Amino acid sequence: MLEIIFLVPFLSGLAVFFLPKTAGRVWMVLTGIIHLLLTARLWINPQAAMFGDYFRVCPEGLLSLSVISLLFLLISIYTTEYLNHSHIRHENIFNGSLLLFLSTMTLVTLSDHIMVMWIAIEATTLTSAPLIFIHGTPRALEATWKYLLICSVGIAMALLGSVLMTLAMDVGHVDIPVSFSALTGVAAQLDPVWLKAAFVFIFVGYGTKMGLAPMHTWLPDAHSEAPSPASTMLSGVLLNCAYLGIFKTNKIMVAAGLGSFSGMILMGFGLMSMLAAATFIIRQTEYKRMLAYSSIENMGIIAFGTGVGGIGAYGAILCLIHHSLIKSSLFLTSGNINAGYNTWLIDRVGNLAGRMPKTCTAFFSGFAALAGFPPFGMFIGELLIIVGVFRAGHYPMAAVFILSLCIIFAGFSNQIIKMSFGDAPENLPNEISEKAITVCPQYALLLTSLVLCVWMPDIFYQTIMDAAKAMGGGF
Amino acid sequence: MDMIYSMDILLSFVLLSVLFSFSTSRLVVMIRIVVLQGVVVSVAPFFLEDSMTAGTLVFTLSILTIRGIVIPWSIYAVVQKMGIKRALEINVGYHASLFFCLLLIVGAQMLSLKFNMMDFRGSTLMVSTAITLIMGGLFLLMARRNAIVMVLAYMMMENGISLLGAPLSAGAHTIVEFGILLDVLAGVMIMGIMLQSIQQKYVNLDTAQLRKLKE
Repeated sequence: MLEIIFLVPFLSGLAVFFLPKTAGRVWMVLTGIIHLLLTARLWINPQAAMFGDYFRVCPEGLLSLSVISLLFLLISIYTTEYLNHSHIRHENIFNGSLLLFLSTMTLVTLSDHIMVMWIAIEATTLTSAPLIFIHGTPRALEATWKYLLICSVGIAMALLGSVLMTLAMDVGHVDIPVSFSALTGVAAQLDPVWLKAAFVFIFVGYGTKMGLAPMHTWLPDAHSEAPSPASTMLSGVLLNCAYLGIFKTNKIMVAAGLGSFSGMILMGFGLMSMLAAATFIIRQTEYKRMLAYSSIENMGIIAFGTGVGGIGAYGAILCLIHHSLIKSSLFLTSGNINAGYNTWLIDRVGNLAGRMPKTCTAFFSGFAALAGFPPFGMFIGELLIIVGVFRAGHYPMAAVFILSLCIIFAGFSNQIIKMSFGDAPENLPNEISEKAITVCPQYALLLTSLVLCVWMPDIFYQTIMDAAKAMGGGF
Repeated sequence: MDMIYSMDILLSFVLLSVLFSFSTSRLVVMIRIVVLQGVVVSVAPFFLEDSMTAGTLVFTLSILTIRGIVIPWSIYAVVQKMGIKRALEINVGYHASLFFCLLLIVGAQMLSLKFNMMDFRGSTLMVSTAITLIMGGLFLLMARRNAIVMVLAYMMMENGISLLGAPLSAGAHTIVEFGILLDVLAGVMIMGIMLQSIQQKYVNLDTAQLRKLKE
């Protein structure tokens, strides 16, 4: 029964609300292990869903689910120590919400019905809102209010898009279940005008949740105000979930012969997001917000690659996987830096290499990986996208893409080098010991990214190819 | 056919209620308007579907209870608890809003005419009312700064989408309605908690005060 994968964290989450603190932490890690095992079982022996009209395992869903599952386990291990020095008062609400959040994101990856997908993505907003608000400060309140309102309105647009999709079926006299797989099969029969309208609304809706500019305004606030384990989940996996909605709808567009229409929209918004991120990263004063803007950039890269199609779509999926692994490692590390310096300001952090060498190693390696240095996966992904866009003949867009990458690299490296090797400010809090449990999850994430670049299991490679094939992807 | 005419009469009341919502600052009136819209949207299947099964009937009545009683009552309780009667925090004046609303209603009619939607499931006003509710809700979200009005505007928008979605998704009607209800119910509850927190920290509900994170 496929549904058990999201039911386990859902029931666990409800239980954790009523468990004592320590038991709640152990329960969360245990759930993470069970979730990972259930996901691994899907690779070996694909399961059928009890409600086959609504749930189904697709290549892109399986890839996202695996990333979510691995990340959650590592985050839950990190969280057990993080909670010791954080100021979170309602720990059971935090842990319970994290598990419910995991459940709803799992639901997104397994959804095949267009409405179930929408419900699942909306549910991710509702379950993650308490995680952002958990500190209860005015800043957290503002971030949560913006997050709820902007994402809810965005998701309402996606609902309208889903409704228009049924109109495209109605006008085209298509009578099938409203599922992504079924619609992709009969895409050519759908009414093209309403299908285009449906795509635009779904794109705007899920694009808001994905953090694409100009609908991104909630993202830097929410990601920077949430505690580090929560912002890791938000940035590392939630954005992927929203992307899945766009990816699956784009598959329908490509199958309907409207790929150039949706591709131009994806490329346009992708570039806009990269430029917006570049503008803000250069003059950023807080390192966690800088990471949040970097997520906007990376979502832009992924949207752009998907729009390019062909080899670019393959590159986009690689970027999606590696971004999750690397950005999660960086967000967790930012929690360590905050614990050591008691600030989010870049100017108040210095000599990280001397004061917190293990943290600095994770932070600097994460930066190198994210900036697109070989041999990390972002390098290969971005390179493939550039090759794809040149092959497609969109030279001006390729120029803007490369220029944005350069600006972001310059801004990012300037801040990171200042933090890592610059002079430490005076009157710093006492040095704290770097426990293995607070750095090992980051190392594990970076190592996974590295290993996937030099050795990718055949089944994994084939799944990525299957996902990209719908966009004319692959070599 | 009579049933369809009745539906159009109800929808014309909804259009009038949108006009009214653009020109009032009284929160209780705004809540009543959203209740009226929610009730009309909930009973729409009664007028449009040829055969109503017992299951659909129970489902429709449950939706009616939640839209017409549970959600408005929750918001009303928040308003009473906070002791706020009027929402005077605005970005666009009432006269300008009213003028925009008139343009919106005319524009929505023209749009539904352009896309041959004047006879949608037999109803003349269905699509134009849905467009007016969606766009009207979006406009209010931008034109008002009071947090409660913003939540009500969001509900108005969802009402518009429900009105359009319910007859279209005949096969998946239950799941569409369930999804929207879950969204509105949970969303409004969480926003309710936010409303109380905003008032505790900032004395009133003017969202313009939320600018600590502005860059």
